Amino acid sequence: MIADPWVFFTIILGLAMAWAIGANDAANSMSTAVGAGAITPKQAVLIAGVLEFTGAYFFGKSVTETIRKGIIDPSKINDPNVLIYGSIAALLGATIWLIIATKYGLPVSTTHSIIGGIVGYGIVYAGASIVNWSKMAKVVMSWILSPIVGAIFAFLVFKALSKTVLQSGDPIKSAKRWSPFWIGLAFVVIGTMFYLKVLHGKSLIVGFVKFGIPAGIVAFIIVSLILRVRFPNVDPYLGAEAIFRKVQVITSGYVALAHGANDVANAIGPVAAVYTIATMGMAGAKVPVPRWILALGGLGIAIGVATYGYRVMETVGKKITELTNTRGFTIDFSAATVVLIASWLGMPISTTHTVVGAVIGVGLARGIKAINKDIVKDIVISWFVTVPTAGVISAIIFKALMLIVG
Amino acid sequence: MQVWTKLFAKSPFKPLIKHAEVVVQTVETLEKALDLWAQGNYEEMRKYAIEVDRLEDVADRIKMELRNSVTSKLLMPVQRTDILEYLHMQDKVADAAEDTAKWLLVKKEIKVSQEVKDLILKMGRESIKAAKLVYEAIRQMDTVVESGFSDAEIEKEYEIIKQIEEVENKIDGLDTKLMELVLNNNLSWADGLYVLNIARTLSNISDKAKDAAERIRIMMNK
Repeated sequence: MIADPWVFFTIILGLAMAWAIGANDAANSMSTAVGAGAITPKQAVLIAGVLEFTGAYFFGKSVTETIRKGIIDPSKINDPNVLIYGSIAALLGATIWLIIATKYGLPVSTTHSIIGGIVGYGIVYAGASIVNWSKMAKVVMSWILSPIVGAIFAFLVFKALSKTVLQSGDPIKSAKRWSPFWIGLAFVVIGTMFYLKVLHGKSLIVGFVKFGIPAGIVAFIIVSLILRVRFPNVDPYLGAEAIFRKVQVITSGYVALAHGANDVANAIGPVAAVYTIATMGMAGAKVPVPRWILALGGLGIAIGVATYGYRVMETVGKKITELTNTRGFTIDFSAATVVLIASWLGMPISTTHTVVGAVIGVGLARGIKAINKDIVKDIVISWFVTVPTAGVISAIIFKALMLIVG
Repeated sequence: MQVWTKLFAKSPFKPLIKHAEVVVQTVETLEKALDLWAQGNYEEMRKYAIEVDRLEDVADRIKMELRNSVTSKLLMPVQRTDILEYLHMQDKVADAAEDTAKWLLVKKEIKVSQEVKDLILKMGRESIKAAKLVYEAIRQMDTVVESGFSDAEIEKEYEIIKQIEEVENKIDGLDTKLMELVLNNNLSWADGLYVLNIARTLSNISDKAKDAAERIRIMMNK
């Protein structure tokens, strides 16, 4: 079926989208670890590339919704060809916007980009009524909610972390006592998230009991044992940082894995839709995706990391000096927890937005020494224009495709 | 994604520490010049005094750069105005050292008693101590921020500030003693003015150091 020119064309576009996802997002997962000097940019690219691919190929959803999260009503599209052109338009719209955003160094949500692309062609084809506006309202809410919740949570975590570890009379002793606790807690979240996001489990309780709690206990015991045997007995703050440095590599690695498992759907969802139509001649809301398409998505992301992510992470590693390991850990831990709680409550939340919020939260807790307010403003603006811009580009392309081929 | 480099501005503390390092170097070089002056080795002294001037220039350049980068678009754990005020005071320490060097350069021969020379040397040593303590204080301020404003670290910072104030007190005492010596020892008008001006600029070093310490105290108050 790959001989079908539309399928072939869509696969190329899906690859481009995957590349853009890798380029824009992958640096997110590793940036705190690189910025805090836990790993070199080269190592980061290697780890992120391998884990993103692993996440996408082995843990990517093999059944994917063609219309992302029911944002438009597929029953209003009668002509399967519309779905083909629409998918292409949505992919192109999202990819072009992602490339623009990446060029300007703005961390935008890839999910929101593809939502924008889908909404764009949907409205052009069937009018505003095709859009599930209550779903859209939830997406818009996430722009506001994610960073605020992320900031508040990170603020509290950093305050608590500094109260227990950094600010005590004997920082070395309290670092020894409290670090296993904090790290254990982070692993409870990571374990649960692993079940929900990577293995695509449904029940939070199952994930919590089967993965979260054991991971937390194991991490607690391992860290306690290591600290008992040897603690970097230098400067108390450097000592505390050294503990969190190792942990940060793991948390960052987890973020990369989960990102691959989840966000590959943004690139291959539309590809899968076109593939299904081409092979079965009909449009289904849910389609099984051949593994090789998943592999292509993973490969695209990995290439994005290697080609664009590399340059970015190198600059990050050389320029950000003020992000220490405890602060990096706070950001990772807060973002993961907020996303977990949000998905449990059914709130739409964006990891990218939450991470940026968390950075600001740590800053406000008098942690990070200086944050650039101007850039924060630019980032927030970019979030608000993501859906409209991807939508408009997608709408124009869709219109053009319909005129030419349709 | 270059956003991370843009998002985290460079901390103002590292350049502040760098500036303080240059200030210490300036004052240390001045001490060497003073020693040579007391020995009457004018030619050697000249070299050091000129070096003081050069180092003060370096400090100035760091100051300018920092001023331009610490803009209101940054979100910082301490007030921007406090940082700029502090920088101003810290830079004044180097300025005062340069003033002394200038005085040393304008006059070749001077007839003063060993007692006066000793007092001047003592003042020089104390002013170095003050400048070094300022360097320590700003480094400790960095640790205070690093620890998330831990009480224990703030306590250590107060200790350093107290020491700076003590040094400043001591120098004030020496200053008075020198005035007595000069005015009661039948020095020529020119020599007297000369010596007293050197003393004035030397005590200025510790004065400005104290002002800088005062700013650090304000920075720590939440």
